[in-house]
Amino acid sequence: MTTVYVGVGELAATNNPNEVIKTMALGSCVGVIVVSPLQKIAGLLHIALPESSINQKLSKLRPGMFADTGIPRLLEAIKQKGYDGKNRLIVKLAGGASIMDPNNTFNIGKRNVLAARKILWAYRLGAMAEDVGLSFSRTVSVDPVSGKVLISSPGRGEWEL
Amino acid sequence: MSQTHCLSPVELITEQINDLPLLPNVVHHLLMLMGKENRSVQEVVNLVETDVILTSKVLKVANSAAFSRGQVITSLHRAIVHLGEKMVVGIALGSCSPRIFSQPLEGYESAVGELWDHSLRTAIATREIIRYILHPVSADLAFTAGLLHDVGKAVLSEFLKGNGEYMASCCDSGEVENFLTIERRLSGTDHAEVGCAIARHWNLPEPLCSVIRDHHHPALAPQMDRELVYAVHVADLAAMLGGTGTGIDTLAYKLDSSFDQHLKLEQKELDQLLLAVEEEYGSKKASIFACIEE
Ligand SMILES: [Fe+2]
Ligand SMILES: [Fe+2]
Repeated sequence: MTTVYVGVGELAATNNPNEVIKTMALGSCVGVIVVSPLQKIAGLLHIALPESSINQKLSKLRPGMFADTGIPRLLEAIKQKGYDGKNRLIVKLAGGASIMDPNNTFNIGKRNVLAARKILWAYRLGAMAEDVGLSFSRTVSVDPVSGKVLISSPGRGEWEL
Repeated sequence: MSQTHCLSPVELITEQINDLPLLPNVVHHLLMLMGKENRSVQEVVNLVETDVILTSKVLKVANSAAFSRGQVITSLHRAIVHLGEKMVVGIALGSCSPRIFSQPLEGYESAVGELWDHSLRTAIATREIIRYILHPVSADLAFTAGLLHDVGKAVLSEFLKGNGEYMASCCDSGEVENFLTIERRLSGTDHAEVGCAIARHWNLPEPLCSVIRDHHHPALAPQMDRELVYAVHVADLAAMLGGTGTGIDTLAYKLDSSFDQHLKLEQKELDQLLLAVEEEYGSKKASIFACIEE
């Protein structure tokens, strides 16, 4: 089994039964996971900020950085791996954590989640499951064959989303 | 009859700090120099020159792909000007500090290299943040302070071992003020206090001691160092939001709500800051790492 690592602002898709896709340590960043259970295709995107308008130039170089430019690329990527656009697509979200901030000043995690949901809705997609918020980092992986999404965090072990 | 005196965790920690090897001379002098207002590049060059290994590492990083922009740099003076003095401090600290950056933090369930990553990202963020500060602070001092702020974790880690699940559940239930509370419950002290004791043991300049001691409660910092401490306080949180923390305690801290009296950071600036740090960290991390791992 090979692990394909997705860095910040990157994405990957696979239909290879011997591959899993993984992204390390999501803080306020959000991992968008898509799986076609019937066609056994999976994709994962690691976004850092909600909107590309903050840095248009960077969004051309690294569209995966932002929810609004990253999600369309993720959907293109699974199509390139054979997703026919008709079968059911399962979407899951993970990450979007924040510090322990009662005043919500640094609410970037929350804004990332809201932005991801909004862009997904524009494609008539909604997340079937979310593991978002709170104050810890998450490592996420997805297996295209079983469709299983696993999350782990230091001190908290590993669980399925 | 012989009597065995059972040392308390705090006594054991104090003992360990006293046993920590001193910083190599060249590193200590560099840190002292960073705390000085008026210094020349030549002073830094003269100092680095006294250490052959450090000299070769500085030249190597200056000629690495991320920094060189295709030029070949053979003189130490040019290498230091090119990299900036703060990078020289980074190289010196990363490769010469005994037992600090080269071990995993088991108590925090943090792999080897993560404390260095977190420190480097905080240092880069501190340097970005001082642009928004209301009173000027030296960029080199800011970077150095970011590198050293969590030094206490290297010693405290051992005393937190085996409590991972408990610590995580304390954080997630929201019953604690921040992670320092948990550290105090388990060890009688916290990584800020331990770090400050290490800084004193190493005879570090006062502003660095303030940063290490007060980075989670900057309002308590001495007036003269407060701006710098606020900058590191916010930089540390920015590093953790970016996903670069040290295991269980990642994100388990609070933002001091009076930070806006010291920093002019609105939401937009903050987003831009996170992006700038991500870019800078992503591009520089590999080459600084390479010189440290050897
Ligand atoms: Fe800290
Ligand atoms: Fe920190």
